[in-house]
Amino acid sequence: MSIHGQKDNAVVVLDHVFTAYEGAEHPTIRDLSLTIKQGEYVIIGGPNGAGKTTLLETINGMLPITHGKATICGMALAGDGVHVRQKVGYLIQNFAFSPLTPFTVRDVVMMGRYGGLGLFTRPGDADYRAAEEAMKSLGVEDMADIPIGQLSGGQQQKVLIAHNLAKNPRVLLLDEPFSNLDLFARERISHLLESLAKKGVTIIIVSHAFDDLPDRPIHILVMKNGTLIHDTTCAPGDVEAQVRKSSA
Amino acid sequence: MLEFLIQNNIVCHAVEAMLFASIACSVLAVVITQINISSIGFTMAHAAFAGAAVGIFFSINATLAAILAGLIVAVLLGPLSERAKISPDTALGVMFGMTMAIAIFFIAYMQSLGRGFDASGLMFGDVVSLFREEIYGLAVISIVTILFIIIFYKEITAIIFNQKIAEAAGIRVRPVYYAMLFMIALTVALCINIIGGLLLYVWLVTPAAIAVQFCNSIKQMFIVAPIIGAIVSVSGALTGLEYGLPVSPLTAVLFSILFAAAIILSPRRRISMRKE
Ligand SMILES: Nc1ncnc2c1ncn2[C@@H]1O[C@H](COP(=O)(O)OP(=O)(O)OP(=O)(O)O)[C@@H](O)[C@H]1O
Ligand SMILES: [Mg+2]
Repeated sequence: MSIHGQKDNAVVVLDHVFTAYEGAEHPTIRDLSLTIKQGEYVIIGGPNGAGKTTLLETINGMLPITHGKATICGMALAGDGVHVRQKVGYLIQNFAFSPLTPFTVRDVVMMGRYGGLGLFTRPGDADYRAAEEAMKSLGVEDMADIPIGQLSGGQQQKVLIAHNLAKNPRVLLLDEPFSNLDLFARERISHLLESLAKKGVTIIIVSHAFDDLPDRPIHILVMKNGTLIHDTTCAPGDVEAQVRKSSA
Repeated sequence: MLEFLIQNNIVCHAVEAMLFASIACSVLAVVITQINISSIGFTMAHAAFAGAAVGIFFSINATLAAILAGLIVAVLLGPLSERAKISPDTALGVMFGMTMAIAIFFIAYMQSLGRGFDASGLMFGDVVSLFREEIYGLAVISIVTILFIIIFYKEITAIIFNQKIAEAAGIRVRPVYYAMLFMIALTVALCINIIGGLLLYVWLVTPAAIAVQFCNSIKQMFIVAPIIGAIVSVSGALTGLEYGLPVSPLTAVLFSILFAAAIILSPRRRISMRKE
C-alpha cells in the first residue's frame, strides 16, 4: 500500500475518470486522465466553471467517481475515501465563519490532526506539538486563542492552511490559496509550499496568480469544460504564457 | 435516587425525571443549535409525539412507538440535512405537518372515545404519574448522551465547526452524524411523556441558546448548557408541584424568561468605549 512500492513515484493517478454531482444530468469531470508524481508542484488553471474545484474533490474522494479508476497515494479510491483524505490536505475555496463560532485558531488547527487519529483516540502531545508548529509556520501563533470567526478573511485562510499542514499531508490540494492574502503572506506561503515540495510533499494548487512560483519545474494542468486541455511541465517563468496559450 | 434529599416521593420522582431529561436534552441542544439542525430536532420531537399517540391508541408501548417514529425521521431526513446538500426546509415542513396531523388525529379521536386522559400527558407533559423504570431509563439516556459526546468529542466538534472541512480532514463524518441523529431520536422519545410533545422543542434549543451567550468555547457550552437546563427544570418542577401549577409549561416559560435575560446581559452585545 505504500508509495515506495510504486515504480514511478506517482501519487495521483486518474484513469479515464468521470465525476458527477448528485442530481446533475451530465458528469462534471469527463474522461480525465492524469499522473502526478511525488514532490511535483502542480498548477491547475482554466476559466471559472471549468471543473478545477471538482477535480480537487475528485482526487480526495469527496465526490463519487462514476467511471474510471483513481489511485491516490497508492490507495485505490473506493468507498468513502476517508483513508485517502487522512493523507491528502485540502484547502477549500469558499468558507465563511460566524463571529460566534465557538472555535479558536488552535482548535481549528488541531482538527487537522483528528482524521489521522481515527475514532476513539484522543490527541496527545505529538498532536499538540504539530499544531503549534503549523501555526508558527503560518505566523498565526499569536492568534491561537482567538475565535476563528473574529479574524479577517486572509487570517482565516492562513489558519486553514495551518490546519492542513498540521496533518503532515503527502499531497496538499489548495483551491486559490492566495486569493485573500496580502503580498507578504503570498511570499511567505509560496516559500512554505516550496520547502514542502522539496521535502517530497506533492503540491497541487488551483491558482490564477503566477508571480510567486518557486524556482523549480512547474507541472501545468489546464482545464476546460470538465476535461484537461493541456498537461505539460515547464519553467516557472513560462507558466503564464503556457496557460494563456492553451486557454486561448 | 434522590430520596435522601427529597422526602416526598412524588416530588422526588418529578425532580429526578426533570433533572435527567433536561441534562440529556441540553447536551443535545448544543449539538442541534450549533449544527443548525433545529428544524430536525423540531420535526423529531413531533414525530415522536405522533408515534407515542399512535402507540397509546393501539395500546402498544408508547415509548417504543415514539422511538420508532423518531428513527424513521432520522433515516428520512439525515440524507437531506447532511452537508446541507438540499435545503431540507420544505421536506421538514411537510414532515412536520404530517406528524402533527397524525398526533392530533389520534389524540382528538381518543378524546371523542373518552380516552382523552391518556393523551394529555403526551401533549403537555406529566411529571407526577411516572413509572420507576421511566426514571431509570432517563438516567441511563442522560449518561449515555454525555458518554457519547465525550467518546466522539473530536468528531462531533469538527462536524459542528464545519462539515466539509471535517470531511476533508479525513474524519468519519457520516457514521457520527447519523449516530447523533439516533441519539436525538432516542432522547426525544424517552422525554416526551415528561415534558410533553408540544414543549419538548424548548429543551432541545433554549438551554444551548442561553449558554452560547456566555460561552466562548464549545467545551464550555457542553458544560454550561446542561447545568442551566438542570437548574431551570428542577426549579420548575419544585415550584410547579409546590403551587399546583403545570410543571412542563411553567418550566418552558422560565426558560424563555432566562433566555431574554441572557440576551440582555450577554457580554457579546457590549460595545467597548475604550479609545485604545
Ligand atoms: N454542487 C454542485 N452541484 C452541481 N453542479 C455543480 C456543483 N458545483 C459545481 N457544479 C458545476 O460544476 C462545474 C465546475 O464547477 P467547479 O466549481 O469545479 O469550477 P471551477 O473551475 O472551480 O470554477 P471557479 O474558478 O469559479 O472556482 C460548473 O459548471 C458548476 O456549475
Ligand atoms: Mg473553484
